[in-house]
Amino acid sequence: MKKYKQPSTVGRFGEFGGMYVSETLMPLLLNLDKSYKKIQKDKKFKKELNDLFKNYVGRPSSLHFAKNLSKYINGPKIYFKRDELNHTGAHKINNCLGQILLAKKMGKTRIIAETGAGQHGVATATVCALFGLPCYIYMGSKDIERQKPNVFRMKLLGATIIPVESGSKSLKDAMNEALRDWIKNVRDTFYIIGSTAGPHPYPKMVRDFQSVIGKEAREQILKLEKKLPDYLIACVGGGSNAMGLFYPFLNDKKVKIIGVEAAGRGAKTQETAATMTSGTPGILHGSYSYVLQDNDGQIKEAHSISAGLDYPGVGPEHSYLKDIKRVKYFGITDKEALEAFQTCSKLEGIIPALEPSHALAYLIKAFKNKHKNKVVILNLCGRGDKDLFTAAKAIGFDADE
Amino acid sequence: MNNLDSLPKKKILSLFMTCGFPSLSHSKKIFNEMLSHQPDIIEFGLPFSDPMADGPIIQEANKIALGSKLSTQQSLDLIKYLSKSKNNTSFVIMCYLNTVRKFGLNKFINNIKSIVDGIIIVDLPFEEESAIKKSLSKNNIHLIKLISPMTDKKRSQKLLKGSKGFIYYISATGITGSNKLDYKEINKNVKSIKKMSSVPVLVGFGIKSKKDVIDISKKTNADGVIIGSALIQKYFDLKMDLNKYLKNLKKFIQEVKV
Repeated sequence: MKKYKQPSTVGRFGEFGGMYVSETLMPLLLNLDKSYKKIQKDKKFKKELNDLFKNYVGRPSSLHFAKNLSKYINGPKIYFKRDELNHTGAHKINNCLGQILLAKKMGKTRIIAETGAGQHGVATATVCALFGLPCYIYMGSKDIERQKPNVFRMKLLGATIIPVESGSKSLKDAMNEALRDWIKNVRDTFYIIGSTAGPHPYPKMVRDFQSVIGKEAREQILKLEKKLPDYLIACVGGGSNAMGLFYPFLNDKKVKIIGVEAAGRGAKTQETAATMTSGTPGILHGSYSYVLQDNDGQIKEAHSISAGLDYPGVGPEHSYLKDIKRVKYFGITDKEALEAFQTCSKLEGIIPALEPSHALAYLIKAFKNKHKNKVVILNLCGRGDKDLFTAAKAIGFDADE
Repeated sequence: MNNLDSLPKKKILSLFMTCGFPSLSHSKKIFNEMLSHQPDIIEFGLPFSDPMADGPIIQEANKIALGSKLSTQQSLDLIKYLSKSKNNTSFVIMCYLNTVRKFGLNKFINNIKSIVDGIIIVDLPFEEESAIKKSLSKNNIHLIKLISPMTDKKRSQKLLKGSKGFIYYISATGITGSNKLDYKEINKNVKSIKKMSSVPVLVGFGIKSKKDVIDISKKTNADGVIIGSALIQKYFDLKMDLNKYLKNLKKFIQEVKV
């Protein structure tokens, strides 16, 4: 197999990706790409980022053998890559630190970001507090309602939350508004995109910053099991935690890789966020990738119980990996994810976020009584504190706020 | 014959309106009113669910148009119908790439050739345009170029090579219908564009009134203006009363047609 080398210099993953933005943004993206290339070679930048990873985030995150869940499934040995133990409770901080260091180097003085579940918003607000930069977070009003704890966190961290009332009032619309803000304030503003979506160089840059997850996991599993894992599993919304885990293993042909999407009420229903199962290639937010769209190319609204996966698009690299069949993608419904959310909490004493609960649900469903003697790494990319009210409501528990 | 090739030398007026807004039948009346004044250019916006380079006013117009289940085919049929009374007015489509892609480029071109003179695909950058530009030029449709204040000289030179129709200069670093006009900056950039290209330069984004139109003409070297958001805003200001709006539109166009 040829060594994996994506994207191209113009940000193409095969035919996917690219830069589909207006001329108001193009010069900025080209400039960002140039600056990013420069810091990739900068040893000081690397050292600074690694220090922050170690001392601020608490990296490396552990690779935990989930003994009870493994026994319950009666299948493979399951390891959790515990990125939910990171400072701020999810993998999002990895990317935010990388991007804010870059923003500093580029002399930008104002930070904007979009957020769905609020994890990326919290991570952005956190790094802005750390570096003393003003922070503006675009968040759909529907998400503000269902992610109250994170809204309060961002406010405590000094961020200004800008509610987005347009469209479906969730992640997609927050991203539209953030892009508009960027067009308006191009000169002083840096846009920290939280996923491997958007125009080039974001999908590459976010993947690179998140790939610390996979690099660590690779070293850790080689130490623990003396071999590479047989399977990798991660949830995919925009796809940053999954790319972070998958990327350092893409050349290891024997490692099978699975991405789990949110199928909402079912991949065949209109209420889904399973972009690669139910979508077709199209252009959203500056990038060519699978999207949920109608026959006229109008983008549909996504649905998932998990705000972090509630996005009608997906990162272009995932589209590419799907089409070359390097990664297989499956959908998990709201209901299945909620069950896995409870199973994991009870069995492992870890309350996962609803996003990785989708990956857990697939693992439980597809690996039960199968694949014995195999080793699986699942990216537990976020913790469930933020989802307690949503989950309680869905399960029917009266958790009075 | 491409009407854009015989635009007047100065004081070009281009009017933008979203197709199918607020409904297909009302949209027909609005465009007919616009056409009756024979502006130099009419820009037909094809509604898109995620118009990220447009401001809230045009986004709302898109949403309303799409709310009545307007299809791309219906928009193109509307343009075809209006072209009967086109005369010397240039027809330009403004849209997002996903609309064209999903409809199919060849089918799209077949629907608009000999009707539409130019097309602005907002999110199609120079780097991605070559295949589309080739198909369009075969059918005598000009791909209109956007230049923003962020576009530097080197990039402008690349973009403007062989440009046809007109050049759309984005007056404010901003989305359509926002920010204030900076005439000094506009003049500087328009001058620089004119050194690189011989086609007319039109200033768009943020032009709201007769005063703005006169100021652009007096204080800058631009060859004309594009008015969009302001036309749609009036409809909302008049509480969506179509008859009042048509009267107001008439008055407004007469005013800005200096």
